[in-house]
Amino acid sequence: MAAILLIEDDPLVRRGLQLALSRHGHDVRTADTGEDGLREFRSAPPGLVVLDLMLPGIDGFEVCRRIRAEGEVPVIMLTARGDDFDVVGGLAAGADDYVVKPAQPTVLDARIRAVLRRSTGTSDGVRVHRDLRVDSTSLTVSLRGEPVMLTPTELRLLLTLSRAPGRVFSRQQLLEEVWELDYLGDSRLVDNCVQRLRVKIEDGSGAPVYVQTVRGFGYRFGPV
Amino acid sequence: MWCAAAAVLLAGCGVQPSGVTGGGEAPTGVAPGVTLYFVDAGGELRPQLRPTGRLGTVSDAVQLLLTGLGDSDLRTEIAPTTTPRVVVTSTPDVLRIEVPLTIDDVTPLGIDQIVCTALGVHVQGGGSRDTRAQVRFTLPTPESEKHRRCPVTG
Amino acid sequence: MTRRPRPRGLRARLLVAFVLVTVLGAAAAAWSSAGSARTALVTSTQQRLTEAVTGRIEAVVPELRYPPDRAALDRLRAAVGSNTLVTYEDMRSVGGADTGLVTRELRAAVRSRNALVTQRITAGGRPWLLIGTPVTITAPDGARSPSGIEVYAVRDLAGVERQTDGLTRSAVSTAALALPPAVLLALLASRSVLRPVRDLRDTARRLAAGDLGARLPVQGADELTELTVTVNEMAESLQTSMTAMRRMQTDARRFAADVSHELRTPLSTLTAVVEVLATAADGMEADARESAELAITETHRLVRLVEDLMEVSRFDAGTARLRLEDVDVTGAVRDCLRARGWLEEIELTAAEEIVLRLDRRRLDVVVANLAGNALRHGEPPVRVHVSASREQVRIEVTDSGPGLPADVLPHVFDRFYKADAVRTRTPGSGLGLAIALENARLHGGDVTAGRAEGGGARFVLRLPRDRDPEDGRAGWDV
Repeated sequence: MAAILLIEDDPLVRRGLQLALSRHGHDVRTADTGEDGLREFRSAPPGLVVLDLMLPGIDGFEVCRRIRAEGEVPVIMLTARGDDFDVVGGLAAGADDYVVKPAQPTVLDARIRAVLRRSTGTSDGVRVHRDLRVDSTSLTVSLRGEPVMLTPTELRLLLTLSRAPGRVFSRQQLLEEVWELDYLGDSRLVDNCVQRLRVKIEDGSGAPVYVQTVRGFGYRFGPV
Repeated sequence: MWCAAAAVLLAGCGVQPSGVTGGGEAPTGVAPGVTLYFVDAGGELRPQLRPTGRLGTVSDAVQLLLTGLGDSDLRTEIAPTTTPRVVVTSTPDVLRIEVPLTIDDVTPLGIDQIVCTALGVHVQGGGSRDTRAQVRFTLPTPESEKHRRCPVTG
Repeated sequence: MTRRPRPRGLRARLLVAFVLVTVLGAAAAAWSSAGSARTALVTSTQQRLTEAVTGRIEAVVPELRYPPDRAALDRLRAAVGSNTLVTYEDMRSVGGADTGLVTRELRAAVRSRNALVTQRITAGGRPWLLIGTPVTITAPDGARSPSGIEVYAVRDLAGVERQTDGLTRSAVSTAALALPPAVLLALLASRSVLRPVRDLRDTARRLAAGDLGARLPVQGADELTELTVTVNEMAESLQTSMTAMRRMQTDARRFAADVSHELRTPLSTLTAVVEVLATAADGMEADARESAELAITETHRLVRLVEDLMEVSRFDAGTARLRLEDVDVTGAVRDCLRARGWLEEIELTAAEEIVLRLDRRRLDVVVANLAGNALRHGEPPVRVHVSASREQVRIEVTDSGPGLPADVLPHVFDRFYKADAVRTRTPGSGLGLAIALENARLHGGDVTAGRAEGGGARFVLRLPRDRDPEDGRAGWDV
């Protein structure tokens, strides 16, 4: 269903996940180190990267940062545990989502599909908010005429928020709408994504204009 | 506890009764009479008890000696004197006997009579046997300075 | 007999002993000096009195008629003084008032010894000195013989007694004077003795409080120093064994953490491939399909076990952290039950909307564990009740089963404890309740187990409301 690059050092885990994800209909290429993974990534950019953070040589965080620097291909991390430093570091490096090892292929597949769905539009036209132009049909965003490159998750977050300017979304709501996660979703996903989005669309000099924080509740778009 | 200690303490305070203990020599000095010394036919000193009923003083005895011999086969070698006044002063070691005589009034045996009589009374009255006698005469003479002992009693 | 209470404190005992010794010493010294002074006083008084008697006798007797008549005896008596008796054979002088005190003993001694004798007696409460002496006749050559005259004199010693009493009083007052300086010295001495004792006590307390590095400086070479050295040695060996124990404990925990970590890699592979097996199971023969299903089930169990082990390792290592957010407790409990499909089987009641700052995921773990236990081991109906007071939020999970036996209750939160030795095939890892308790404690709360009114088991999760929101590690301190 999608071209997936799986970067995982353990050969048996790599093979197992490759078998399982292939069974779910994905086209899975693999790499066993970060360097090898980046080479594969550059030779034929995949639709999505599944990245183990614990890699020999350059580690998963660094791989994630370099992938992010080269484009908007979504990244799902495989982490050792759900509530530690790996998650914080991985999200800060630009990962779109994470799955805790040992990962069940069904769960991993669901997350892959959720991420990929974010790249598909709902097509309700073009909206302009001050200097920001959001085209939900072509799924493009531009700021003062300049195109802004967003990952699918960032784009989906912006589309969700900008569809109802002024409406406050709780993190929980955003997790359900953007990440398609249940009630136990990790709110740090939202906070990290908001931060990355702001870097791309706010001017950074003062208080955020487009994605505003409502303390104690969540986020809203505008009012512009 | 404190009361008991105090009681013990105070019980030892007073003068405790004692048994009979020796307290030194008994006083002496009683005598049926006074012993005078005269000279017998052989030229030896002889004691003669005058039963006066008491010992009396040293000067009494010497005066009695000077008054002379009673009826006796003894003689005296002291010249008779009309005023037999004798003054005796005593120091711890010496009895000084001032006699109303000159050295010419007595022979050496006569001096011994005075010395033995005086020291005898002195000893009988409780005096020391080591006391010496000094017989002083009315006229200056070296004999007055001599400290003598009685040749009979030692 | 009443028993005086003994002084308790070391200081008091030292004080009493010191004062006692000092005062007794002073008293003994004063007493002995007073005693010798008293003896000297009595002796000299006695001598003076005796000499006076002999002196007067010797002054008179040379003039005394001998053998004496009655008048002579009276003269001698008058010369010696009042309270005097003079005898000669059967004759007696007209005696003084107190001459009746003269003892037979004294008369016998006068006659037999032929010398002056004395005796002290007490009569009528007063001390007396009796002097008895014969008067002797001395021959010109110095030989002495008794004259038959005897003189007895009685002399009052009350004056001496008054003086010795004065000495005694001064001895007592000297001892009394020693009291204040004795107290002062005792206080000083007890301070110098007790300071090391107090240091020892402080060090022992620090050791007891867990400060195993506590040591005493060793000075001097007395008994206290030996004690100090012993305490230091004790602390040393205690510290050594505690360090060894902690290292062993740490090693064991790290081992558990390492093992579970290492297990995860093969489990990742297994988890991945059993699903492939599962999707292929339909085409298998029956026994092959069952084998595949067993492999899948056991793999999931293994995964849970390893996850729980790792969670426990994080608690043991102290690396578990709270991710606090404002949570609607009732909503979170409902979500937890709904997500597991338990809302049909479990009766959820809640008083009101309760918002508490907590870690949503950890609350979910605890509630899922307690509710899952009730469903597995108890009988329906299972009830979850959420309530709140000013201080805390209570989540109570009760079932209607047989309840927990009394011997099981103290162990339900132990790791890998299973009430029924035969029931080894429960889906739980055996760590669920231990993890639930650790999670509650991480929030500063706790979980308790007991019996419900109906006889079933009742587990209560309590979470404090007024926790410091910044303190993510409340109740967890290693």
